[in-house]
Amino acid sequence: MVDIEKIEKRTVQNFYEDGLVEIAVGLIFVLLSAYFFSQTIIPKGSSINAILTGLFIIVLVSSNFLGSRFVRFFKRRIAYPRTGYVAFKKKEQSPKRRAAAAITAGLIGASVAALYGLSSSTKALMPALFGLLLGIAVFFIAHRIGLVRFYVLSAISAVIGVAVAVAGVEEMRGIFFYYAFFGASVLFSGVVTLVLYVRRFPRLPADAPEGPDAH
Amino acid sequence: MPTDLHGLADIDRLIHEPARLALTAILSVVESADFLYLQRETGLTKGNLSSHLAKLEEAGYVAIEKTYRGRIPLTLVRLTDAGAAAYKAYRARFKRFLEKA
Repeated sequence: MVDIEKIEKRTVQNFYEDGLVEIAVGLIFVLLSAYFFSQTIIPKGSSINAILTGLFIIVLVSSNFLGSRFVRFFKRRIAYPRTGYVAFKKKEQSPKRRAAAAITAGLIGASVAALYGLSSSTKALMPALFGLLLGIAVFFIAHRIGLVRFYVLSAISAVIGVAVAVAGVEEMRGIFFYYAFFGASVLFSGVVTLVLYVRRFPRLPADAPEGPDAH
Repeated sequence: MPTDLHGLADIDRLIHEPARLALTAILSVVESADFLYLQRETGLTKGNLSSHLAKLEEAGYVAIEKTYRGRIPLTLVRLTDAGAAAYKAYRARFKRFLEKA
């Protein structure tokens, strides 16, 4: 008997089986950590600081676009010649889903803004807040997709965030450590997944009987 | 039980066949997929896959587009609106049957 739900779930999981999404997300986090690190060494109010702040907004806004471009580019070169071409449906955002996303974004924004107004010792808790919020988000993604390594990444996010906060690292340096360690973890997970994927699925020769141009 | 069996007797037999059910289940999640992807996912031979896809295409459940990526020929398959509706109906009917059984 064909298990339809299992087939549907496995098809969704296939999108993540090459690790390219994690590599893209990991790189974005490492890039953000570099920004936060620069904030710890460049004097506030300097022109370089102003330029970096402007660049940060551009990176934030374009990270989604750049990330999806990155994934598409490498899928075309690495994944499709090995396991075939597949384009996934773009999820239509229902008004309920949009409202939930807006409320979540608002709550996160309000929490972060509230933390800025607090004392520096309370601000040191920001990495824990980032770690837990992102950990919860990754946990929900893991639950939806059903991939174990995403549960592990969710736990890593929470552990790194709390550990950096407990270590009492100064606010901006703490955020830098969180983004750097979590970004490196996601990147590492992606690279390992990609290496295993490439080993498991060798590139098919163009003239192979079951190859991409055999039909 | 006879009522349940009546419900089952009405199911779409074209989709109910295991290989075609697997194909429509995969295509219901994706926008489109190529021949290689479907072959890998279903484990069907090239001939079998072609034959099942031809039957689904004949029923108007899938659309097959032969195209090129660069100089490499590419056969793209996607579920049509009729195919998506038929799969949805099949899924709902079969789920109801299993719940009653």
